[in-house]
Amino acid sequence: MTRLLDLGITKISNIIMDMAKLSERSVITAIDAYEKGINAKRQIFDWSEQLRILQDEVADLAIELIARYQPVATDLRFIRSCMEISYGFSRFGRYAYDIVDVLEATGSTADCDKSVVLEMSITVREMIHTSVQALQSRDKDAAQQLYKKDDTVDALYKNYLRKVLTANSADKSAASPRCYTSALLILRYLERISDHACYIADSVHYIVTGESSPRR
Amino acid sequence: MHIYLDCKTRLVASKVIDAGTGEYDFPGKPLSPDPTVSQRYKVSIRNLEAWFGPKQALMDINLDIKENTATAIIGPSGCGKTTLIRCLNRMHEMTQGAKAKGRVILDGVDIYDRKVDPVVIKRRIGMVFQRPNPFPTMSIYDNVAAGLKLNGIKDKSLIDDIVTESLEKAALYDEVKDELGRQGAGLSGGQQQRLCIARALAMQPEVLLMDEPTSALDPIASSKIEELIHSLKRELTIIIVTHNMQQAARVADFTAFMYLGKLVEYGPTKKIFENPERELTERYISGKFG
Repeated sequence: MTRLLDLGITKISNIIMDMAKLSERSVITAIDAYEKGINAKRQIFDWSEQLRILQDEVADLAIELIARYQPVATDLRFIRSCMEISYGFSRFGRYAYDIVDVLEATGSTADCDKSVVLEMSITVREMIHTSVQALQSRDKDAAQQLYKKDDTVDALYKNYLRKVLTANSADKSAASPRCYTSALLILRYLERISDHACYIADSVHYIVTGESSPRR
Repeated sequence: MHIYLDCKTRLVASKVIDAGTGEYDFPGKPLSPDPTVSQRYKVSIRNLEAWFGPKQALMDINLDIKENTATAIIGPSGCGKTTLIRCLNRMHEMTQGAKAKGRVILDGVDIYDRKVDPVVIKRRIGMVFQRPNPFPTMSIYDNVAAGLKLNGIKDKSLIDDIVTESLEKAALYDEVKDELGRQGAGLSGGQQQRLCIARALAMQPEVLLMDEPTSALDPIASSKIEELIHSLKRELTIIIVTHNMQQAARVADFTAFMYLGKLVEYGPTKKIFENPERELTERYISGKFG
């Protein structure tokens, strides 16, 4: 016999998986916009808003399930984690929007060296994918893989920041302020997305084990 | 109230004589504290087994209960919860054909030791039952005073003080103070249950066993009993059997889950309800069986 609580848990799971797909798509589209110079701001704004609305739905449903069914053990951990995970996906959407917002503010980046951003974006896309997969398969160990990738992302960001800070304006081979600024801001947003992918995997670890993920 | 403590001493003193072995000052100086059991616990249960005729109801129960805590015992019907707490004050053996084996150690002394007077045990370990059972023809006052009078206390002012204090501790005094001569049976269900708690408290128990004390009560009355449990554990050790898992989660510091006469899991309530060790516990508390 299906518990009434299970109906709610299925519903909240479905919303979370919808958010996972939408947030992953938002980040991929934003990176494409940077790489190919496409204007995707309107589209990503709509998706980001949808993610925010879905996050509110998850919170409302979670509170309702707690109030009506007093879930315990795995059910309780899952519901609590859904609130945190939905926030993470919502942040993916928001950072995707921030990326395209930067592109609009800085203007064309066609002449910029995009290699660092694209390098980081490959890792971050993998991280998003891993976090979503971890959620689907309840992989408690995914967090450890993600921490390693997060270290790579952090290093890329910090190296680029150092490069910008030490750039010599007299050096004709140095990038323009427009290129530096857009790349640095986008790297920063990708670095934050990377953090949230780790948090999502932390939540999965908590759902499965009831313990906080061992921090790095 | 000092008088209450004085009364306790007198109650204890009235029952220190064991018929078989002479003087036995059970509450003050235990005859033979069990060296294998830590004195940190108010109650320790060791290898407890119980039967109703040929049917075994409890199997090898081991449990340590800390002083001034509330412990909930949960589990599906027939799992042995009530049998367990009835073993804790030797009520189980009063059922025809019932027997128990093992040790229940209160403050270091096995209450099943043949030198221990079961009457003293029942005073030190009080009990409140599922359905309120005030003495129907007695007044509110007499319901609370009955145990004192039966134990030979005749000092009217002392009894008055104990009745008042017991009713206050049971959070009933304000509601009945002007009608203490009224029949106890005329109170509401929730008030009757608190009257039964006051009756138990008048005997100055150190441990209070509660067998589904709110199952016959409405939510408001249940809530008052739960608040009472919370306040009483400052002075008492409380063990409550409940079918209501949310109630266990609300009132208990520790929770024990039983199934088919066995103790499956025991631990802090937060741990049991958030991250139980055993899958069986998880399935039961999540409502997947039972």
